[in-house]
Order: sequence, then structure tokens, then C-alpha cells
Amino acid sequence: MADGYEFAQGTGYVLPEYQFVPPPELTSNARRHYPIVICGGGLTGLTMACSLARLGIDAVLLDEDNTVGVKGASSRGICYTQRSLEIFERLGIYERIAAKGIQWSVGRTFAGSSEVYSFDLRTQSHYNLSRQPPFINIQQFYIEAYLVDRIRELGHVDLRWSSRVTAFEQRDDAAVLTVSTPQGDYRLEAAHVIDATGSHSPFRVWTGASVTAKKGDDRWCIADVRFSKHPPVERHTWIEAPFNDNRAVWQHLMGDNVWRIDYQMAPDSDPQQNSREDVVRERLARQFGADCEVEIVWVGPYAYKSECIDRMRHGRVFFMGDAAKVVSPFGARGGNTGVADAENLAWKLAAVIQGRAAESILGSYHDERHEASRQNVLVTNRTARFLRPAPGIEKLFRDAAIGLAKQYVFARQFVNTGRMAIANPYSASRVCGEGGGLPVQNVSFQWANGSEGAVSDLLRWADGRLLLLLFGSVDRTSRRYVRALTEAAPVVAVQVLGSNEAADAIEHVRDPRGHLKGACHVFGHSWALLRPDAYVAATGEAVDAALVESVSRSLGALEIESSGVET
Amino acid sequence: MKTELNLKDADGFYERLLDAHAGFTPEQSQLMNARLILLLANQLGDDEVLAECIEAARQFAAI
Repeated sequence: MADGYEFAQGTGYVLPEYQFVPPPELTSNARRHYPIVICGGGLTGLTMACSLARLGIDAVLLDEDNTVGVKGASSRGICYTQRSLEIFERLGIYERIAAKGIQWSVGRTFAGSSEVYSFDLRTQSHYNLSRQPPFINIQQFYIEAYLVDRIRELGHVDLRWSSRVTAFEQRDDAAVLTVSTPQGDYRLEAAHVIDATGSHSPFRVWTGASVTAKKGDDRWCIADVRFSKHPPVERHTWIEAPFNDNRAVWQHLMGDNVWRIDYQMAPDSDPQQNSREDVVRERLARQFGADCEVEIVWVGPYAYKSECIDRMRHGRVFFMGDAAKVVSPFGARGGNTGVADAENLAWKLAAVIQGRAAESILGSYHDERHEASRQNVLVTNRTARFLRPAPGIEKLFRDAAIGLAKQYVFARQFVNTGRMAIANPYSASRVCGEGGGLPVQNVSFQWANGSEGAVSDLLRWADGRLLLLLFGSVDRTSRRYVRALTEAAPVVAVQVLGSNEAADAIEHVRDPRGHLKGACHVFGHSWALLRPDAYVAATGEAVDAALVESVSRSLGALEIESSGVET
Repeated sequence: MKTELNLKDADGFYERLLDAHAGFTPEQSQLMNARLILLLANQLGDDEVLAECIEAARQFAAI
């Protein structure tokens, strides 16, 4: 356990420092070739590195800094969705996140002095089935540090700190990266480059990537604070806060009893002025009363923009996280979707490198994550427009919506303080078949011996291969067919039975409440093919050539030796 | 009068509604809203419901 980054009372955060170790390129002159080089050691890059390490894939990660978080700004994302928590569970860091972070499920939205509406996520059935809670709030750098620790345990990834990429060229046989370090520059070659360098990515220019962008005049200022007086553990949002000149305010708890209070400022206002300590203190006093003792942990003024790269892949370079798209913070769609980008590409790259998938599977990264990026940009832009309506008709409609929402349930749907991030569905992916492209929650079932298991356990067991779930009885012909398929292709098969159904001589689990079946979005007597990233690849009814075709398609049109699997 | 949500995509509708006003002067916007109300009323076609909606919207006049 690296505890060097625990919160230190009174002095803010002490972040871990990682030592620069001279790489072999600096000690010998040989230029080396690596299968995967990840640029950027933030949330997305580290999730990518950890996902690859877990699958046993070697990679190099280059980070320009020697710590997690951003120097002098040790606080960024705070809200992690159930989906991200499920991914972190598979990577092996969920327990640490749960121990440090804060769970919340109640949200309240206010306008003026009255509540417009509230919700409790625990009562929303779709959140209830996962092993992970709807959300956990925790400072982003904690997750990054847990990932670093986990990567060191797993091995496979060479973490190179204080190493900045300063030049890049793409040749036919490899990408060549120039890296600057405290002990000199060197070059290395990569078959695949992951750009996780964030919103100021130099790779956009180096690859000539085009970006669709939009920037507004909305300004905010975060105050991360600790109090002598504790508000309730709930997400509170004010659309029009009387204590903030009728502008918006966000109030959220995270680890170490630190509260994030995020204040909307006047349009186009000066960030220097907004973040001056006396100004921040006065703002806090207006909200919490002059008698409330406040310890300021961090202050961060910001403007936001929305950007979406038009192609997620340029040759050998894959863009992910903020390097691929930038959104406003509303709805926690930034960091969480970076984690999802990494989860999406990691297993595909691993499968190609291990010869378990055809190269063309990599094209599906754009299909799937660009659709998700565009959707997340669209959704966050709508929220931004509600929170900063143009004067005139947009403000008029907002006033009407808020007024109606206080009295009529239907109008709450117009009140948009952020639509929380979800696992985006993939509707146009080259590798998804019938019923495919939908996420699978980490629901529970029973192993054959009666003990409890979860989807994550099955995926860990499949270890980077596809997981075929066969619901209900399986006849002898189908059994032979499935056995031949699992021998010919990287697929493992499990029969899923109700409480009293007899097992048919294949590995089986029991799903007495139908949660596993529901999570796979199937009904009746059927099969579901699950990918290592907990998405459905395809579903079907008959165990026949269509199943083999689905397996092949989800692995990028992998050729499957068909001698054993013909009908 | 329905008071539960009856729209499949409230955010999408709201965006379309605001987009429709783009580039309009306040007078043009008001006129567009008026046209829209008359069009929607004709879709509803239920005098009782329309009377209730008018009354519900009027309550907020003081706000």
C-alpha cells in the first residue's frame, strides 16, 4: 500500500512521486520496437495500461510528470459511475476506491429558495442489480495512484515517468516517437500508439486530425473545502442560487471529508478575480454562513469547451479520453468515458497481439467509441445550454420549465442539471451482431456449488476470450457443436440454468432470479455472446452456423477452422 | 390534462424547440411560439384538456 498520497490535514494533498528510471534506450544506443506505447499517465492512459497488464500484454507508458493528478491542481474529476466502478473491479482496485470514496444516491435540485425535485438512485431498479453502487465520489488522483500500484503488481507495463513525447512520425513499418527526459532524449518505435495526453494533445497536429469544437462564455470556479459544519451526503444542485447571484451551484462530497462546491460565475468573467482567496471565502460565507469554519483545500476556476475528434484512429495512433473528446463536467461524462475508451480498446489490441482476433477488429474502436463520444458531446452541450441559456427566448423557456417543474412531474424532465454518464450502447459497430452492442451489468448468480458469483468473475475466468452463455437446456448435438467451437475459436461456454433445471454436461451456473439473463438483454431459450469489456457481441436462439458467424464477426472476421463446427 | 411525462425524448424536444428560435428577433420568437401553440392545440383537439392547460399555465402569471 502506497499511503504517501493520503490527505494531510491543513496542508492540502501530498501526492506520490515516482522516480525516473533511465530506460535501456539511454544506456545503449539500440532503437527498440514495442507493440504498444501509451502516451499520457492520467486516468485514461493508466486504465489502458492496467487493462493491458491484466491481459498479460507488454506496453510502455510515457508520462511527462512524475506524479498523479496535475501539479498544483490535485483535484479534477470526482464522480465515478457504476460502469467505471465495475471496470475498476475487474482491474482489481475497486476495494480501495470503495474504502476511500463516498457513496451517494440522493440528488436534489433547487431553484431560488425551493426544491424543484429530488431523486434516490437506490429506488431506480436498473442501478440495483450490480455488485457496484450507482456512484462513488473520490478525488481522481486517488484512482490514478491505485492504478499505478496495481500496474506495478501486475508487471508487463514499463511506467516511464518524467518522459515527454516531443516529436512523432508515422512510417510504413512503425511509429517513431522522440522522448525528452531529465537525462536526455531518445527515440523508440511502436506498432500501436495510444494517445491519452489530454485535451492539449500534440498528436492531433502531428496526425492532422480534424476536430469539431464549440466554446462558450460560461465560467465556473471550484472551491474544494472542509467544514466545521457538515451538509448532508447528497448531491445538491442549484440552478438559480440566491446566495450566488441567482447563478448555478453544485455541492458534492468526496474522500477525506472534502466537499466540492462549484460556483457558476458571470459570463466571460475573469478567472483571476473569481479565484482570489478573499473572494472565494466571501462566496462560501454567503452560502454556509459567516460562522462556518472553512478550510480551503483547492480552488480551481475553469471555462469549458466541447470538442470531438472526427476519427478516433489515425493510422497507428488511437485517440482516447480527453485527447479524443472534451466535454463540460456536467453529468460526469469526461473521465468516465475515458475509462470506457480504454476498456474498449485494451481487449481488442490484446486479442490481435495474441492472435485471437483479426486486425480489422481495431476499426471497431472508432465505430463504437466515436458514437459514444458524439453522444456524450451532444448530451453535455444540452446541459450547458440549460445552465447558461442565451438571454431572451432560451432564458424564457428555462423560467417556464422551472416554474412548471415545481408543480408538475412532467416538466422535471426539462430541468437539465446534467444527465449522468451511462455505458453508451453501440448501434453501428462492424463487430456487433443481432442484439449486440449493449452493456452488461455486473449482476450476481450462483456457481454450480451454490456460492455467489458475478459477471466480472465469469469475464476474469474467460481471460480475454469471448464468453458464450447458453440459457436453458442444451441438446447433445448442440453440446458437440459448442465443444467444437470452443476448441476452434477463443470462446469459453457456460450454461445458465434456473433453480431446478438439470445441467447438460457443460460448465454451468444458476440464475434463479433471472438477473444474468436480464443483464444480457435476452429472453426465452437463447444464447448471448459476451465480450471481455462486458458488452454483448451478439445474441441468438439456435446453436448453429449463425453462432459461429457471430463469433467470427465479433473478432474482426476471424477465420474459424470450420471442420469441427459444421452442422 | 396529463401531468406525468409523456415525451419519449424530452431533452431532444427541448433542444429542437430552442434551435427553432435561432436567429429570430424577440417579436419573431413570440409569433413563432403563438403559431406553435395553435398548431399543438389543433393536434390535441380536446376542448376540456385545452381549457385545463390554459388554466394551469395562467397560474404562473405572477411568477
